[in-house]
Amino acid sequence: MIYLPLQIIVTIFVVLIVFRLIKKFKENYLKISEFISWLLIWLVVLVVFWLPQTTSYLASFLGIGRGVDLAIYVATLILFYLVFRLYIKIDKQQREITKIIRHLALKDKEKDKEKS
Amino acid sequence: MNVFIIIPCYNEAKKLAKVIDEVKEYGKVVVIDDGSTDDSYEVAKRQEVKVIKHLLNRGQGAALETGNKYALSQEADIVVHFDADGQHQAAEIPLLIKHLIEDRADIVLGSRFLTKNDQTPFFKKWLILKPASILQNLMFGLKLTDAHNGFRALSKKALAEINITQDRYAHSTEIIEQIKIKGLKFVEVPVTIIYNEFGQGLMGGLKILSDLFLRKINK
Repeated sequence: MIYLPLQIIVTIFVVLIVFRLIKKFKENYLKISEFISWLLIWLVVLVVFWLPQTTSYLASFLGIGRGVDLAIYVATLILFYLVFRLYIKIDKQQREITKIIRHLALKDKEKDKEKS
Repeated sequence: MNVFIIIPCYNEAKKLAKVIDEVKEYGKVVVIDDGSTDDSYEVAKRQEVKVIKHLLNRGQGAALETGNKYALSQEADIVVHFDADGQHQAAEIPLLIKHLIEDRADIVLGSRFLTKNDQTPFFKKWLILKPASILQNLMFGLKLTDAHNGFRALSKKALAEINITQDRYAHSTEIIEQIKIKGLKFVEVPVTIIYNEFGQGLMGGLKILSDLFLRKINK
């Protein structure tokens, strides 16, 4: 086992994150679906670090040379997808802000009219 | 005829008073102060015109849509969009609204390239505006000579049909798109643009493209 120090660091990291996840879930910040998917992602990270050969099986099954490569491909894809989703979400929020600002601006105008 | 002149304004305190003075005689002026950080709001108030204030800066498209909504609620017959920075000529307003009064069009668009004394800087014209208008014509299958001219006049019908969702500068293209989709009658009229600043550069153009693309995938 050459990776031992890194494995321990990553494990501590994952355990801390899972604790936070559980806390957030109990405080009702997370939906059950979100909680389970995040939990799965971090469990997969643990499996990959303790049993690296599992990724090699998957990699050769998918026709990719090394397990590490597969992990990086998957991670990159997930990141791209998350960034895309954030982009879409921010755009939607921007439009909602505009609606609120417009509503407030026109509401003030109505008040002016009543006064005059 | 109930004519409303909508002036979206963001930090134009220096030029705003003169612009308002010039357009006043052509209709009811509505200034949309788009969250300016200078005293544009006070300047407009002093001119005794309607001033609607956005608490935060939301962009020119957002300001125009607020103005349109207001004009619609006031039963406007004609709405003119006019820039606050003095690049448009107030004296040309009658040339635009003439077509609406005579019922030749639902919307009249200003074009800086139809006029003989076009002052557009060479680089801006051939690297930004002309490619933009060619691209836009390809997208919508319309024949327009100018892609992004903020000087336009809308009839009551166009006002009710057109809904601007592009907050920043992509609204010009969005309006063209809605003319096409809703089958509105349009006319292009030569207008003079006086360049005092460079306006939107190449990066601004790219931003418009990305805004348009994003809206296509995120309705």
